[in-house]
Amino acid sequence: MRTFLYFLLLMIVAAAVIILAAILGDVGAWYFAWLVGTTMIVLISAAGAALLDAQEEHAAAEGLAAVGRHERT
Amino acid sequence: MIDGTVVDLSRIQFAATALYHFLFVPLTLGLSFLLAAMETVYVTTGKRIYKQMAQFWGGLFMINFALGVATGLTMEFQFGTNWSFYSSFVGDIFGAPLAIEGLMAFFMESTFVGLMVFGWERLSKGQHLAVTWLVALGSNLSALWILVANGFMQDPVGAAFDPITMRMQLTSFPKLIFSPDVQSKFVHTSIAGYVTAAIFVAGVSAFYMLRRRHMPLAKRSFRMAALFGVLATMGVITLGDALGFVAARVQPTKLAAMEGLWKAEAAPMPFNLIAFPDQARQENRGVVQLPDLLSLLVTHSLNRTVPAIDALERQAKQRIENGIPAVQALQALSRDPKDAAALAQFDAHRSDLGYGFLVQRYAPDLSKVTPAQVSEAARDSIPPVAAVFWSFRLMVGFGLLMLVFFVLAALYTLRNSAQEKKWLLTAAVWMIPVPFLANEFGWLVAELGRQPWTVFGVLPTWMSASTHTVTYMAFSLIGFVALYSVFIVIEIYLLVRAIRLGPTEHGDSGDEPPQPRPAPAGRPSAAHVTEPEG
Repeated sequence: MRTFLYFLLLMIVAAAVIILAAILGDVGAWYFAWLVGTTMIVLISAAGAALLDAQEEHAAAEGLAAVGRHERT
Repeated sequence: MIDGTVVDLSRIQFAATALYHFLFVPLTLGLSFLLAAMETVYVTTGKRIYKQMAQFWGGLFMINFALGVATGLTMEFQFGTNWSFYSSFVGDIFGAPLAIEGLMAFFMESTFVGLMVFGWERLSKGQHLAVTWLVALGSNLSALWILVANGFMQDPVGAAFDPITMRMQLTSFPKLIFSPDVQSKFVHTSIAGYVTAAIFVAGVSAFYMLRRRHMPLAKRSFRMAALFGVLATMGVITLGDALGFVAARVQPTKLAAMEGLWKAEAAPMPFNLIAFPDQARQENRGVVQLPDLLSLLVTHSLNRTVPAIDALERQAKQRIENGIPAVQALQALSRDPKDAAALAQFDAHRSDLGYGFLVQRYAPDLSKVTPAQVSEAARDSIPPVAAVFWSFRLMVGFGLLMLVFFVLAALYTLRNSAQEKKWLLTAAVWMIPVPFLANEFGWLVAELGRQPWTVFGVLPTWMSASTHTVTYMAFSLIGFVALYSVFIVIEIYLLVRAIRLGPTEHGDSGDEPPQPRPAPAGRPSAAHVTEPEG
C-alpha cells in the first residue's frame, strides 16, 4: 500500500510538472528555460564532484596496485 | 517644476544605492544554488567533505546575505521619499510586485536562511537539504519580483493610464509577469548571479590550492564551480542575446545607444566594435567595425535593419506633437473630470501622453510650445550614448573573458590537473572582481539606456522626482555613500577574514600532507569518510 501511495504521489508530481511545462512553455518560455537550466546546472555540477571522487578513488587504487607490485618485486 | 539638480541628485542617489546593493545580490543568487548542489552531493553520497563545503561556503553566503539585506532595504523607501510623483503615478502596478517580494519571497528566504544556518544539528539530512533548496528558490524569487517591477519600467505592459484618477492602473497581471522583457531580464540576472558565485568559489578555492591548504575542499569546490560556471556563462550570453532582441522591439533608443547607431544604414549593418560617440555632433570617432554583424546579432537576419538615432528622433518629434493634445486634455480633465470633449481628445492621443510630458520640461505652457522646443525634447529622448555604448561593451567583454576562463577551468579540472596549473589558479584569483564589474556595467546599460524615462515612453524622469531641496538631497547622498562604503569595507573584511581562517572549525585539518601516500587497503581517505544516514 505504501509503495502504491508513493507511486501515486510521484505520478501526481509528474502530471503537475507536465502541465506546468505545457503552460510555461507556451507563455513563459524563458521561465521554463530557467527552471530546466538551473536544475541541469546544479545536477551537472554535482555530478562533476562525484566524478572527482571516482577519479581520486581510481588513482588511489592504482597507487596501491603500484605499491603492491613494487613490494612483490 | 522640479529643480533639475534635485532630479539629478535623486538619480545619483538611487544609482549609487542600487550599484552598491547589486554588488551583494548576484553572489547571494548564485551561491545559494551552489550550496544546494554541494549539499545534494553530501546527502546522496554521505561524504562528510561535502557537508564541510556546504557549511564553509554557507558561512560566506551569510556574510554577504546580511549586508545585501541591509543595503537593499533603503531602496524601497527611496521610491516614496525621492520619487513620490513616480510612486503616485505607477504605484498601483509597481507596488504589487514589491509587496509580493516582501511578503512572499523575502519572508520565505529569511525564514529558511535561519533554518539553514541553525538547523544542521536539529534537522535530518533530507530536511536540511530541502531547506537549502528553498533558500535558493526564495532568493531567486525575490529577484523575480524586483525584476517584474523593473521590467514594467522598461516595457510598461499590462497597465493603462486612467485620466480620471490620474494614475496608471493594472489591467492584466499575467501580461505584467509574462512580459518578454521581464522573463529574459530575470533569467539573465539570475544566471549572472550563478556566474558571479562560480567565479567567487573558483577564485577562493584557487587561493587555497596555490597555498596547498584545504586541498580536498578546494579541489571539489573548484570542480563544482567550474562546471557550474561554464554552463551558467553560456546561459547568460544566450539570455543577453534574447534581451537585445527584445530591446530592438520595445526600447529601440536603448539599442541604438548600445550600438552607437546615429544614422540609418542598409542591411546587413556593421557592428561598431570600438567607437567614441559624440552626442553633440551625433557621430562616432575612431570607429572599428565588423561587417554585417549588427543585423545578424540584433535581428538574427542579414536582410533586416535596426532603427538608427536619426530616425528615432524624427519619430519622437511626431509623438511629442501627438502627445501635446493628450496633456492638454488631461489638464482640462483635472479641472472638470466630466468634460466629454476633453476625454475624447485624451483617448485620441493617449498613446503619446508620455511624449507630451517630455516637452513640458521646456514648455510648461503647452499652448505656446515652439518647434525648437519640440526638437530639443526629441533630442532628449535619446539616452547618453557614450555611457551606454561603453558599459555594454565592457559587460560583454567581461562575459566573454569569463567564458574563456571557465572553459579552461572545466577542461583542466575534469582532467584532475587544475591544481597543478599555477597560471590557471592565479588567473582564477584575479578573476574574482570581474563578474561584479560585469554586473554593474550590465545594470548601467539597463538603466541609463532607459533614459530619459522612469517608465519607458510613459513617464519622463524629470517629472518623477520629489520636491526636495538641493541641500537635503546632497546631504542624504553623502550620508548614503559614506554608510554604504562602510558596508563594503565590512563585507570585504569579514569575507577575507573567513577565507583566511578557512574551514578549520568544521574539522578539516587544513593543510595537505607534504607527501601524499595511498591510504591503507580497505580504508578510504579522509575526503571519502561517509556518515551514516539520518
